Amino acid sequence: MNSGPLLFLGLFVTMACSWLGFVLGPQLQLGGLTQTNTVVMGDALSQTYPVPEPGDAHQGAEVYRANGCACCHTEMVRPRSLGSDIAHSWGARRSLAEDYLFDQPVMLGSQRVGPDLANVGLRSDTNGILVRLYNPRRIIRRSLMPPYRFLFETRKIGFFPSPDALVLPAPDAPPLGYEVIPRPQARALAAYLMSLRQTGYLFEAPPPPARPLKTNAVPTNAVPAVKAPAAK
Amino acid sequence: MSVIVSPARTACSASPRTRNEGTGDSCPVPLLCLFAGAVLWLGVALALGLMDSVKFHNPEFLAAGPYLSYGRVHAAQNAALLHGFGVPAALGLGLWLLCRLGRAALAAPLAVLLGVVFWNFALAAGVAAILCGGGAGYEGFELPAWCAPVLLAAYILLGLCAFVTFDRRQEDKLYPSQWFVIGSLFWFPWIFSTADLLLLVAPARGVLQALIAWWYAHNLSQVFLGLAGLASSFYFIPKLLGRPLHSRYLAALAFWTLALFGSCGGVPNGAPLPAWIVSLSVVGTVLTVVPLLAVATNFYFTVRRDLEALDADPVLRFTYVGLVFWLIAGAQQIVGTLPNVSAITDFTWFGAAHGELFHNGFFALTVFGALYYILPRLLGLDQAAWCPKLLTAHFLLAFVGVLIAYISLLAAGVGQGILLADARNSFPDVMRRTMMPLRVSTLGESFVLLGTILFLLNFARILLAAGRRCRAERKERA
Repeated sequence: MNSGPLLFLGLFVTMACSWLGFVLGPQLQLGGLTQTNTVVMGDALSQTYPVPEPGDAHQGAEVYRANGCACCHTEMVRPRSLGSDIAHSWGARRSLAEDYLFDQPVMLGSQRVGPDLANVGLRSDTNGILVRLYNPRRIIRRSLMPPYRFLFETRKIGFFPSPDALVLPAPDAPPLGYEVIPRPQARALAAYLMSLRQTGYLFEAPPPPARPLKTNAVPTNAVPAVKAPAAK
Repeated sequence: MSVIVSPARTACSASPRTRNEGTGDSCPVPLLCLFAGAVLWLGVALALGLMDSVKFHNPEFLAAGPYLSYGRVHAAQNAALLHGFGVPAALGLGLWLLCRLGRAALAAPLAVLLGVVFWNFALAAGVAAILCGGGAGYEGFELPAWCAPVLLAAYILLGLCAFVTFDRRQEDKLYPSQWFVIGSLFWFPWIFSTADLLLLVAPARGVLQALIAWWYAHNLSQVFLGLAGLASSFYFIPKLLGRPLHSRYLAALAFWTLALFGSCGGVPNGAPLPAWIVSLSVVGTVLTVVPLLAVATNFYFTVRRDLEALDADPVLRFTYVGLVFWLIAGAQQIVGTLPNVSAITDFTWFGAAHGELFHNGFFALTVFGALYYILPRLLGLDQAAWCPKLLTAHFLLAFVGVLIAYISLLAAGVGQGILLADARNSFPDVMRRTMMPLRVSTLGESFVLLGTILFLLNFARILLAAGRRCRAERKERA
């Protein structure tokens, strides 16, 4: 291996393998991904999935990105066989490529210092999220999450109290005559978090069976054991 | 048969006195700037990391304003460590080794200087923008959209200089370090331009963005920094021991398998992607056991008769401890990618522990080992110019600090994973129980930062000594 051109050629081929496998191949398979239909479940009709998030949630994603929330929170639920995510009620099914179709940027995260947020919109309400952003330790004892009070404004109550004022429990309540108002970023962030829900059951992740299958249960797609009419 | 090759025999029997003949040492300013910038960025990254670590003792710490909130500091720290320290340090090592091993002068020193200036100023603006909320949001590729093209242009300038330097080599025979350097220099523009194009310029659709960001971050560490650091190990360990490298073929095996398998990986098990992509990542990562064993065997047979000498040389200690850390980090990564293990360890502090060992352990220690050799020679001094006490203190602080941080993060990660595997443990309870090891890791991180500050003091000291010498020489001439 003393030839420069051969070295470069070898490196090119090696690098191309990795690039084909992790960039071009996935792009060919997933680059044209579109909305799909959910699996019919019980009486519910099939729905288009996913639906683009509303505008304020889109702005909230920018707040989420700017403050690096993804360095402590993931947004993906692993399948039952690869972790306890579903057992921790972070989601009813595993996350799929379709769930992120309209996200920009896609912030899956890589570490959980805080819980997974893939379905946080299903288990929270806007006021709860805002109180948690204002003082996380009010909700979770000795929480590790830093407070995001710079997303809020404490101001004197005007002629009327603002309908947007945050309802805070006693120790955090502002002094008499003052109110805590979430700034637009805080409201957008809460809207984004409320929009996080991976609800539709899709073909790749069908709904779990209503009750555990018995070992001798007949699969639904089995051919019924009816004798074919005898040929005349 | 030319199985036994040593850097001492091929190219660089140059003693410090004959330093100016056909090496990069003839034009030291661009390389000095490159290295100084890299080490300063390492200091910045470690300081930011320490700031984030302190937030685990008290979440209210520096939480009043947006600029120093946890997430932003974390992103800025990543950018400073990978693109501020990692890339310039790898480039500097590469340029110096190409000059040394090829007996060629550094090509276009002014262009190198220009590239260094552009790189550092663009990155400083980028890191400031991240703290102001302008980060791109991809882990490992946090740079704002306007910053990345400038960095790419600066890199291409530096890379072309490296290519011309390589092309002007006087030695026909290539030493393994040269393959490793060329490999790492070749890798970066490809992965960086792909990430820039498909994440920032024309973002790929949906979850592909996450895949490309994982692929970029994995390649940047494993292949780019890995090859650059190993180039330094392959040069300095045989050279400073005065022994030939055991086997050139094993080195070639390690090189090609690391490039091929090391570049496939970084996708967590259970990611929302088609199963074949995740499988490819697992298979690639498991197969990095081949380069791991090849490198370990090669170095074992190179040094086995000189284990005492290995420890006696203060410069060599950095390099070989760095190499041992590379082996441990590689083994940890292989174990952590197995589906049964990753079900427990993924998304915990386990990954952070690996990053600590790889970047602050392997890469930073290897670079420091090389710098302790290179910097005095660039300045026309010899090894004695370093203050030996500061040097020893730096080694101890860096070594002990990385070990403390690594072991505590690993304990926190494994503990967190095992506790979370049982869904009856609530998430906040589990996190509270990992607090103690996490707080211990702050101690380790402050040791590493202190060590880096000692290095900067020592560096300032030899810069002053070189300045004094320069003035004395001028007086003599006058």
